[in-house]
This record gives sequence, C-alpha cells and structure tokens, in this order.
Amino acid sequence: MVAILSATLFVSSSIQKDLLNTLEDQPDFTVQRYKAGKVLNTPSAWIDEFLEIKGVTNAQGRVYGTHYYDTLETYFMIVGVDMYETQIVDSLENLLGSIDIDKFQSRKNMIIGAGVKKFLDEYQYYDYYIFRPPDRSQEKVYIYDSLSSESGIMSSDMIIMDIDQARKILGVEDGYVTDIILEVKNQDELQLIKEKLIVSHFNVRIIQKSDIESYYTNLFNYKSGVFLALFLTTLLTFLIILYQRYSMVWYVDSKEIALLRMLGWRIKNIIWLKLGENFVVAFSSYMLGVIFAYIYVFVFNAPLLKNIFLGYKNLSNEVTFAFSLDLSILGLIFLAFVVPFLLAVIIPVYRVAITEPSEVMR
Amino acid sequence: MIKIKALNKQFGSKDDTFHALKNINLEIKAGEVVVINGISGSGKSTLLSIMGAIMKPTSGVVEVDGNNIVSFSDFHASNYRQNRVGFITQSFHLFDAFSVKENLFAALCLSDLSTKEIQIRVQNATQIANISHKLDRVVSTLSGGEKQRTIIARALINEPQIILCDEPTANLDRENSLKFVEIVKKLKEMNKIVVIATHDPIFNELDFVDRVVSMKDGELE
Repeated sequence: MVAILSATLFVSSSIQKDLLNTLEDQPDFTVQRYKAGKVLNTPSAWIDEFLEIKGVTNAQGRVYGTHYYDTLETYFMIVGVDMYETQIVDSLENLLGSIDIDKFQSRKNMIIGAGVKKFLDEYQYYDYYIFRPPDRSQEKVYIYDSLSSESGIMSSDMIIMDIDQARKILGVEDGYVTDIILEVKNQDELQLIKEKLIVSHFNVRIIQKSDIESYYTNLFNYKSGVFLALFLTTLLTFLIILYQRYSMVWYVDSKEIALLRMLGWRIKNIIWLKLGENFVVAFSSYMLGVIFAYIYVFVFNAPLLKNIFLGYKNLSNEVTFAFSLDLSILGLIFLAFVVPFLLAVIIPVYRVAITEPSEVMR
Repeated sequence: MIKIKALNKQFGSKDDTFHALKNINLEIKAGEVVVINGISGSGKSTLLSIMGAIMKPTSGVVEVDGNNIVSFSDFHASNYRQNRVGFITQSFHLFDAFSVKENLFAALCLSDLSTKEIQIRVQNATQIANISHKLDRVVSTLSGGEKQRTIIARALINEPQIILCDEPTANLDRENSLKFVEIVKKLKEMNKIVVIATHDPIFNELDFVDRVVSMKDGELE
C-alpha cells in the first residue's frame, strides 16, 4: 500500500518537476500572428521591430510544428533551430554531451527525442527518415543523434533540425516564422511591453510565461485527479486493513495479553511492548514500500503507472523519470500510515489489557 | 499466610445474576498444600483467580501476609502476580512460537535480576519441573506433559510463596499426572503454599496434602 502511494507520488512529483523545469526555460513572451481566430505564420521582419522596444533584451523567431504519421496516428514535434546561435548550441551540448555543428550542417540531419527514436527503430528507420512536406516532395533527413530518455517528458516526441530544413518540411514560407519569442530583463516591465506589442500589431496573440504556467498547472491538476483516485482507493484498502488489524487484536492478541498480565506485566508494559512491536512492523513496511516504489519508478520506469499519467498512445511516455523527492509528502505518508496503524493496535490492546485476565484465560 | 473472609463473586446483570462464590471463608498457612475438590462449575477456578489477583470479587477480603489483595491497584496487583504467586493452569497457556527458555524470560524480563541470577533461577525452576533438558525447544514441538512442566517452571521462576494450580492434571495422562504429584511434593518440601483446584481423585489420598476441601455451587462444604 505504501509502495503504491509512494510510486504514485514519485511519478507525479517527477512529472511536476519536469514540467517546472520546462517552464523555467520558457520565454517571457511568445508572439503569434492571429487572424479570424486562427494562428498564422509570423513575419520575420517583426523580430527587428520588437528588438527596438525598450526593455526587450532578446527576440527570436521559432519554426516548429507537428508532423503527422497517419498510418499510426502519431505526431512528431518538429522544432527548427538556428544551429549557429550560441545559446542553441549550448543547450544541445547539454543534452547530447557534445555536438559538431559543421558535421551536423554537412547534410540534412536531425536530432530525435527518445520516443521518436523508439518509434523509428520499430519501423527500421535506423539512419534516416523521409518526410513528406506539403509541396509533395520528399525530404530525406538523417538521424544525427538521439536525446536520452532522461532529458524530459517534453523532448521525448521532439525532432530538432536546422530552421530552414524545418521550414521546408512544415511548409513555412521564407520570411516567416511560426512565432517570435521575447525576453525581458525587468519583470516589472512585462505589462508595459505587452501593451506596446499590442499597439505595434493589433492582430497578435501574446502568450505570457504565466499563461503557460497555468496551462501546465491545469494539465498537472488533471493528472493529479488520477493520483487522487489512486490515493483514495489505497486509503480505503488501508482502512480495511486497519479494521482487520483492530479485530485481530481481540481474537489473536487477547490471550497473549492476558497471559502477560497473569505473569505480572502492567498495562503500560504491555502497551509499550505492543507499541514497539507494531512500530517495527509499520516502519519496516513503510521503508520497504518506499524502496519498492523507488525501484519501480526509477529503475523499472513505472510500467503501467507511467501510462496512466502520460497516456498510452503518446510518444511522451518514452521517458525516464528523473529522481524527485518531496520529503514533506513522504513524511505525511509516514504519519498517515504509521500513526493510524499504531492507534488501530494500541486502542484494542488497551481495552484488552484493562479487562481482567481471567476473562480472557477461560 | 492466606486469609479469605466472606468472599462473594457474582456474574451477570441484576436481572440475571449467577453466584459463583458464596460467603467463602478459608485460611491457609505457610507451607500448606490444600486441595479444593469439586465438579466443573462449582467455583474452584473463580476462587483461585481471586486468590491470584487476576479477578476482583464482588465482596469480601483476601489477605496475603496481612495485605488485602482485593483492594490492590493495578500496580500492586501486577507486582503481587509477578513476585508472590505462580499459576499452573489447565490449558497450556504458553507462547507457542517461543522456546521454553523464552517463555520463562517472559515472566522474568520485568525484574531487575542480573544475568547470572536469571541463569540460576532458570536452572533451579527447570530442574524442579524436570524440563531443563528441553530449554531451547520451541513450545509447539513439546508434548502435553512437557508443556505442563514448562508452565510449572514458569510458575516457579520468580520464586513465589504461593502456587495456584487450576485443574493441573486435566490434560495429562496417568504417568504425567504422577510426575506432577512428585513436583507438588517437592514444592511442599520447599515450604510453599500450594492450592490445587481439581476433580482428579489422584490428590485425595496423598500423605503430604494437608487438607482436602470440597466446593459445591460456590460454597465450601
């Protein structure tokens, strides 16, 4: 029971940590061109305009989109990056260990997430994959390297390639990007800069970091519902176990308690004995549960439970959970498990102990 | 010395009362072996339970060496049970999963005795009860007679002055019953008070038994 609770906790905590890490890397603003309720590609020329707004420290165009593999109803997330941008190279080096940009650019190459790699390996695309852009041409792109499954949930279904290559595969015209991201140094100026962006282009949709934060929170809350359902089921099971333990004291332990009383043990001696005995049982179960949960989640990567949280037909579930431990919640489980367990034993023990031993010895 | 005066015990509610003991008066001197005879339900076990402070009477007094054990608090009653009295029960009330030695320790572990003193007591008690050769055997693997001798050793381990035996031979064959009689004889030689509640006629003709009293319907005859 502790193992199920702890495993759920480890998974949810790891996902939450991963999402929060992703959030940290998000830009302050994401600007998209918006018309008649639809998001359109954004002109690259806007980048220079935005850089002229006081307080904006960085503005970059992004090209990304999903590539749909209809046979298996699977989406890949294609992300186009400027391979000569220092920040991008640093991030890729962090993820891959090292990257030779010249070698990468020497032909059409891509870096794929762990989920994409597993999928492509299954269909024997070991070296390359042929994309079919909207202009009906064929784009054969070689697999340069793959990201490890530890690199995070969000990167699992990701394909990283040169921005021009991505533009071609996704059908984004030259001079356009999918959106523009902006960074602002002084967080107090966020509202002012947002207003300036709206004034400069009325047909824009501006997404702030806080919007993404609420999106992730909502997403995580939905997943937390699963956690809650599991938690309640486990709690119910625990209550049944407690009741069983409570009844067991009457039927199994009462003779033993009466015998000890007959031998001269005082009520407090018996309570301490039972408290010690059951604390060892409860604490060992707790520790074993946590260790099993640790092995299940971080060694075996939480089979089944992972699918409950991340979905079955989703490349994102090809992830390895990064160790994340919230001691306060583990402490709470300890208190929620050990204290009721001990009470479920001590109360009937006390009631038996104050009964005349002769009653039980008959 | 044990003095029982006007002892009564009632069970049940006001409307449905059962008088287990009715005005019992009895005096047992140090070193006496007393056999209480009577059929099942005559009140023998109830009387022994009250003498052992594991049951409170409805009224009356049980004085042991001048102290009324009926009015003892839990603390004093526990001390009395630990140091002054040893129980030999009809059923084999033992910790079956433990060894003979561990069962003896259960009666000793609250005392302040040193390891050496404990060893001496274990040796003495098991020798009297003739179970010293099975100290490390788990109780569940012992025969009925051996279990009974373990109970006797446990009753003697704290060197009490009073030994209360409730139907001690009820679950024993003739041979083991005779062995028990020999042990009682040794206890008599050690100047202990032995009270045996039984309906086994084996105790009626023993020369070392000081008194045989009969009980019927909660009264001494």
